[in-house]
Amino acid sequence: MIDNNYSQAGSGGVGIKPLPAPTGGDELSTWQALRMRLNESAEVRAYLMNAPMLVALFLVSAIPIGYSFWISLQKYNLRQPNDIRFIGLDNYISILGNAEFWQSLRVTAIFTFGALIGQVITGILLALLLNEKFVGRGILRSIMLLPWAIPGVIAGVMWKWIFNPRFGVLNGLLLQLGIIDEYQSWVGFDPNLAIASLIFVQVWSALPFNTIVLLAALQGIPSDLYEAATVDRAGMWSRFRHITLPWLAQPIMIIMILATMNGLRVFDLIYVLTGGGPGDATRVVTFTAWKKAFDALDFGIANSYAYILTFLTLIIGLIYLRILYKHGEIEQ
Amino acid sequence: MSAIPAKPSREGGISESLYRLPIPWKQIFIYLSAIFAFVYLAGPFAWIVISSVMTSEEAVSVPPHWIPENPTLMNYEAYWNPAAIENMREERRLTVGGVVAAVPVAMGNSIIISFAVAFLNIVIGALSAYPFARSQFRGKTTLLVLYLLTRMVPALALILPVYLVLRQIGGLNQKWGLILMYMTFTLPYSVWILKNYFQTIPRDLEDAARVDRCNWFQAMIRVILPVSLPGIVAVGIYSFMAAWGEFLFAMILTQTPDARTMPVLVAQLSTELGTEYGFLTSSAVLAVIPPLVLALIFQRMIISGIGAGAVKG
Repeated sequence: MIDNNYSQAGSGGVGIKPLPAPTGGDELSTWQALRMRLNESAEVRAYLMNAPMLVALFLVSAIPIGYSFWISLQKYNLRQPNDIRFIGLDNYISILGNAEFWQSLRVTAIFTFGALIGQVITGILLALLLNEKFVGRGILRSIMLLPWAIPGVIAGVMWKWIFNPRFGVLNGLLLQLGIIDEYQSWVGFDPNLAIASLIFVQVWSALPFNTIVLLAALQGIPSDLYEAATVDRAGMWSRFRHITLPWLAQPIMIIMILATMNGLRVFDLIYVLTGGGPGDATRVVTFTAWKKAFDALDFGIANSYAYILTFLTLIIGLIYLRILYKHGEIEQ
Repeated sequence: MSAIPAKPSREGGISESLYRLPIPWKQIFIYLSAIFAFVYLAGPFAWIVISSVMTSEEAVSVPPHWIPENPTLMNYEAYWNPAAIENMREERRLTVGGVVAAVPVAMGNSIIISFAVAFLNIVIGALSAYPFARSQFRGKTTLLVLYLLTRMVPALALILPVYLVLRQIGGLNQKWGLILMYMTFTLPYSVWILKNYFQTIPRDLEDAARVDRCNWFQAMIRVILPVSLPGIVAVGIYSFMAAWGEFLFAMILTQTPDARTMPVLVAQLSTELGTEYGFLTSSAVLAVIPPLVLALIFQRMIISGIGAGAVKG
């Protein structure tokens, strides 16, 4: 994409060194013929080299994607195995008229939006800090990778341990610091607190990646910009607002895209940390779909949920892409 | 830049004299923030490590013991010493013994699966990425977009059909079933990383190789791959991490301990066996160690990789 011309020249030049002419008869062995073809045609070669990937993707991506869409158009409840039949868009229609769906969509939206805001703010703050010089900065930069290295489920288990309402260390710490008066149930009682806690964990997990991206951009800001601003007696906030932020626009956009995608498809965290509770307060779309599939055994509805989510993801992805194009950050 | 108000500059302004005041507020603020960041980032994992060397009784004490009174590896011992399981009380052995015995197996499974996924990602990814970086062929852009599009579908939409497909070809409860699944998660991204990396390598290198009578394949193996080492390592680490931490498919596709991975086991300890805190914390620590070690070894590469890749878009 980037070096079209370059590649063009290359495909012509592939055969610069011809293979040794076949010896020992007029007929080429199959192997030699194959090698000839490989050297002659960029197409054949490209697709041969992509064959392993195409086979794998076909088996566990293409077939499932098509098949699950087909299931979503059927009445497909394993509790009624004799009544599996094609019903068109009925699953989708019934979902869109169902309060349970709108509730889970609302939870997903709140979670995604909250995590998005939290990720951008914490990312900027930590990147700004790590961009300053102080003793121990190197250690902090290494330590920073910790949340990145911890798998999502394990992070969920770990925070569940920390959040524990009866003996959790967060309660212990906050009580000793005098911030709370009594042990709290962080994820098990108050719906708002539960969502906030989930957002908190999601932000924590994503912080290293976001910080690294922002820090790389921060380090690219020419220092004479700040010098000029200092000469102009621009205050700290003004410098941040008029130099740093505009310079970070693109990485922030990237973080927003990733945060949105990861927020929309969050599952592991919910599964181990709240199990969708209290009540249905943290049942995101993926979790509701999961319940539909493995509690209600209604695969038709579950797959329809999945496709509505896919559709939403695509739409939001396209909106982001349009914004990026408009700002000229992607060159064609 | 133009947005900065161009005020007339006066030398030795107020801010300058403020800056010379003896109390270094800025430094104090920076160090306080750094301490806070340190606790926020490292605290949670540090706590689960500390908890894992306590007895279950001490780990749940209120208020928490910040420093264990009698640090013990008891919680870990059961993983390599089968006698520890046999010595458990009958009812405890029945509930938790199986899960504890499964931890070493799961650890092995996770390691095998993740290494296999990383290795195959490098081989298949490099093969697939090379034509994208170096030649022009029909359907090139379409194919690349297609690869990336497969990642837009949430895992949940794939799980049931994947289950049925794998059952059909005998891949349930098999390590290779999970490996195959994880390949398709990771490959599109690996191809993308490697394609970008290959494109940064000057074409002259291959041309020189061709003058030396190498064909394109030899040129790729001998010239391109060695100089692409950072990209290849990045792909290896990324796919290892992705495979190591995956949960949803691992949970669905492995019903027996034979192929079960660490995340599934730890989740099981957390959700089903609520009070086995010793095993919960120690298994969680074990599950974090391999990716953590990788991250620390390759931290420079990871940081520059994420920074460069994402900033470039």
